[in-house]
Amino acid sequence: MFVPLAQSLVFGLLVGALYGLAAVGLSLVFGVTKFLNVAHGELLMLGGYASFWAFTLRGVDPFLTLPLTMVFLLVIGVVLYKLLFAHMVKLTEEAKIQNTLLVGFGLSLILQNVALRLWTADTRGITTSYSRMAFTFLGVRFPIVRVASLGIALIALFALDLFLRRTYTGKALRATVENWEAATLMGIDIQRVYLLSFVMGAALAGAAGCLVSVGYSIDPGMGMSWTLKGLIVMVLGGLGSFMGTFVGGIVLGVTESATGYFLTLTYREVVGLVLFILVLVFRPQGLFGTKER
Amino acid sequence: MGRKQVIFIALLIAILVLLPVVVKKDNIINLALLVLLYICLASSWNILGGYTGQTNLGHAAFFGLGALSTRFLWMSGWSLLPSVLAGGLLAVAFALLIGIPAFRLRGVYFAIGTLALAQILYITVGNVFSDISSLRPQDLATYQLVPRYYFFLVLALLITGTTYLLVNSKLGLGMMAVREEEEAAESLGVSALKHKLLALSISAFFAGLSGGAFAYYHVGYYPRFPFSPEWTFDSMMMVYIGGAGTIIGPIIGALFFVVVRELLALKLVELHLIVFGILFILVVLFLPGGFVEAWKKMQAAFARRSKERGVKVSFQTTDD
Amino acid sequence: MRARLVTMMVVVFLVSALVTNCAPTPTQAPPTEVVKPTETPKATEAAKPTETPKPTEVSLPPAPEFIEVGASIPLTGKFGSLGTQVKPGYVFAVQDINAAGGVYVKEYGKKIPIRLTIYDDESDPTKAVSKLETLYAEQNVVAYLGGAGSDMHAATAAIAEKNKVPYLGIAFALYSIHQQGYKYLFSPFPKSPAQARDVFEILNAEIPEGERPTKIAIFQEKTDWGKELCGLWKENAPKYGYEVVVYEQYAPKTEDFSDMILKAKAAGAEALFGMPTQPDGVAMFKQMAELGWTPKFSLIIRAPENVTWGETLGTVGEYVTIFPGWHHGEKFPGVEELNAKYQAEFGRPADLLTGPAYACVQILANAIERAGTLDRDAIRDAIAATDMMTVVGPVTFNADGTGNVLNPLIQWQNGKLELVWPKDQATADFFYPAPPFDQR
Repeated sequence: MFVPLAQSLVFGLLVGALYGLAAVGLSLVFGVTKFLNVAHGELLMLGGYASFWAFTLRGVDPFLTLPLTMVFLLVIGVVLYKLLFAHMVKLTEEAKIQNTLLVGFGLSLILQNVALRLWTADTRGITTSYSRMAFTFLGVRFPIVRVASLGIALIALFALDLFLRRTYTGKALRATVENWEAATLMGIDIQRVYLLSFVMGAALAGAAGCLVSVGYSIDPGMGMSWTLKGLIVMVLGGLGSFMGTFVGGIVLGVTESATGYFLTLTYREVVGLVLFILVLVFRPQGLFGTKER
Repeated sequence: MGRKQVIFIALLIAILVLLPVVVKKDNIINLALLVLLYICLASSWNILGGYTGQTNLGHAAFFGLGALSTRFLWMSGWSLLPSVLAGGLLAVAFALLIGIPAFRLRGVYFAIGTLALAQILYITVGNVFSDISSLRPQDLATYQLVPRYYFFLVLALLITGTTYLLVNSKLGLGMMAVREEEEAAESLGVSALKHKLLALSISAFFAGLSGGAFAYYHVGYYPRFPFSPEWTFDSMMMVYIGGAGTIIGPIIGALFFVVVRELLALKLVELHLIVFGILFILVVLFLPGGFVEAWKKMQAAFARRSKERGVKVSFQTTDD
Repeated sequence: MRARLVTMMVVVFLVSALVTNCAPTPTQAPPTEVVKPTETPKATEAAKPTETPKPTEVSLPPAPEFIEVGASIPLTGKFGSLGTQVKPGYVFAVQDINAAGGVYVKEYGKKIPIRLTIYDDESDPTKAVSKLETLYAEQNVVAYLGGAGSDMHAATAAIAEKNKVPYLGIAFALYSIHQQGYKYLFSPFPKSPAQARDVFEILNAEIPEGERPTKIAIFQEKTDWGKELCGLWKENAPKYGYEVVVYEQYAPKTEDFSDMILKAKAAGAEALFGMPTQPDGVAMFKQMAELGWTPKFSLIIRAPENVTWGETLGTVGEYVTIFPGWHHGEKFPGVEELNAKYQAEFGRPADLLTGPAYACVQILANAIERAGTLDRDAIRDAIAATDMMTVVGPVTFNADGTGNVLNPLIQWQNGKLELVWPKDQATADFFYPAPPFDQR
């Protein structure tokens, strides 16, 4: 009784951490810039492929390539921002959301199909030599790669939190989330803050993509489902709190797994979504979101 | 409406009515039908999303419910019109059911909340109705595309016409007031919730009817297919790229989206989605706000320049 | 100003209608000239009874330049990985036939080359319908070749039925599509009933009693094919002396299979039957390895059919068996040439779906030759009467359009797909039992 449930939760925890990581990136970008980048899932896909090719062609361990993957996505983020999103900075909030949605949609079509041309539509993933290893505690198996992935997700998150709380730039970023007009008056360079949050979001997507390719699989069309999951988790956690977003991801992942255990695997996603709706009914600002003015 | 406009609209309708008579090719009629289908979907989304300012990402749920119930009733022997109407009403019932809790949410919370609702239906329908719904060989032997085309044409005219009447009514003004500033509208005695609910119901009703028409049109699909989020996103993109909160916007958007994409697919085969993506982004970057706004800006610029040169402006910009 | 917009719209609409009207652009064979929709087949129908060898040369109608054949394939979107295996099969077969001058059509007394037009339907049934209508109206095709996946075939086979165009399709094992009474749908591909029967017969023939994996776990995807195939497995198991100890359902795109795997482990299941999509299959096997449950035998249809399964899962993906419909190691005429051609272009022997796709064109060409005309109904009847050797072996069709074809069993061994059944075709011995994941 205990073991299968605990086992389900172990798996749910990791799924949830990946949901959280994908959503934190989205939330960071949306919170600061009000850009709704629906190509976020495609950035995640690119991160997955970067790690996959490093592993397949060069034999580099995916956990070692993770920082490189993040840098790679950072660069892609800069290019995309300068090329496409920088034009949207001066628009009103509503127009920003509309235009970034459209650009993101076009971008996701391009990235998906470029990936398909380059790497075929086949599903791929990374299986390392230690992938099947696990340690057992109280009869529950803890697969090494999943524990490591969870650890990395947490490290990335704490690093982000530290950056946002302790550095001047990080504080500027948070101030912009709260109130960008006031932030401008305080002399914060909005363009720089926007660029920074956008590329950090891309880098987080890269990290998530790397972990997805280790724990699950990647293919050119995977982006959309991750974007949707990310959006749902972003709202579940609530805007304005990145830790909250991550916790939201964990809540969703664990709920889905527990549903598989208690009810049925066919409705695990449905139950997760119902929970999401219920949360919104009682807390329209999300679990940890700040109430709207 | 000026006299010129009436003539143009009459001309347009005449062309659309005569199209199947002049063009006998099923592929052209089919493409025109798809444009009309997307005009229906995008225009119905526009009522809530464009005029009332509520970004509904669950539009596919209404479309899907309409398709699901119509297909079921129609295939079990009901005649077509009552089946489609039932589909529309079911969509309204669902809209009313979710409306009050959903409208407690604002902005992106509302958008993602409705997305989640639609996803619940998408997965559940996939689980419960997992069998393909194909027309039987005897239905296919007598299948005609032209009546389906006219069905969609009537529906598109109905939706566009209703939108026109709505926008020029007190209700429509209330909706737009809610979009601009909810608190201000409330203080003027406009009930925001009432207007949002009405807009949602009208939007859902038309999406449900479109779903019904889809069930009448399509030869074979899985029942979950009309529930898939792509229908919502495509409609929304069409509205945005055409011009949100305008009557003509969704129509231009649907034309661009369907026709350009299909032409590219026929010409370029494997590369067409990349090219379409690039084209799409270029349009957004160079015409932010969509085709309608770009057109207005262009006219304004032209008018300004003409005025500077002291040339008489030959066309009127009095309406909207 | 709204009037101007409307004018603009009308113009766009008319221009685009015009452009589509004269859209040639096939991917294959440069568009020499749009072939005039020859109404000749009908005319000759009347003149047919004159079978007597008269001075026929004089009365022969002018032959069309090409035999038009069209395909709508999901090259992008969720079925893209299947579509990209299907396409080269069609293309190569048409190239080979045309290299020999084309197909002899008696009605015109000469060989006519095939012109194949391929469109991408983005794995969207509605777009596939558009493409088939275009192929019908613009190219005036005599036959359709199908795409991949039951979502697509359900829509396209119905359009073929509506337009009365013979339709050859592979890469779907769903049997229920064939039970609707469609007359124009033919599929030289193994269907669920064969897949549900053959596995037990092979196991019983290969493994001595007492060592057989009699306790089976079935992981059923909650789709119509899942219901159909897994239901048949469950039904057949007792007849062959097997017991289904775990029967679990899941929705497609599941990330966490741990619950099902633990149930199978706890029930002592020795065999796993399933038909997951690629992402689901990869997640399933990764988690099986992590949870330490190794079935001695696993029959996994669909997910392991791509060459990337091996590199993605490494030793975890080993020993899995599949019923994919074909294998490049089969010893039928033409397979070697097909492999050589595939090797030259893609650097590996032909993929699992490429052979059946190739066979579709062989069957079509043969049927046109026997029909002796380009009349679609005559070709349909000729396809129904098919009895020939192809790259997938001998093919005949049942009344419901399903083909009587070989259903080979393939197994992943040493990172390669090996043909293990039937024996006379095999490239390697069937490997059983599969060693535990941590001892590989």
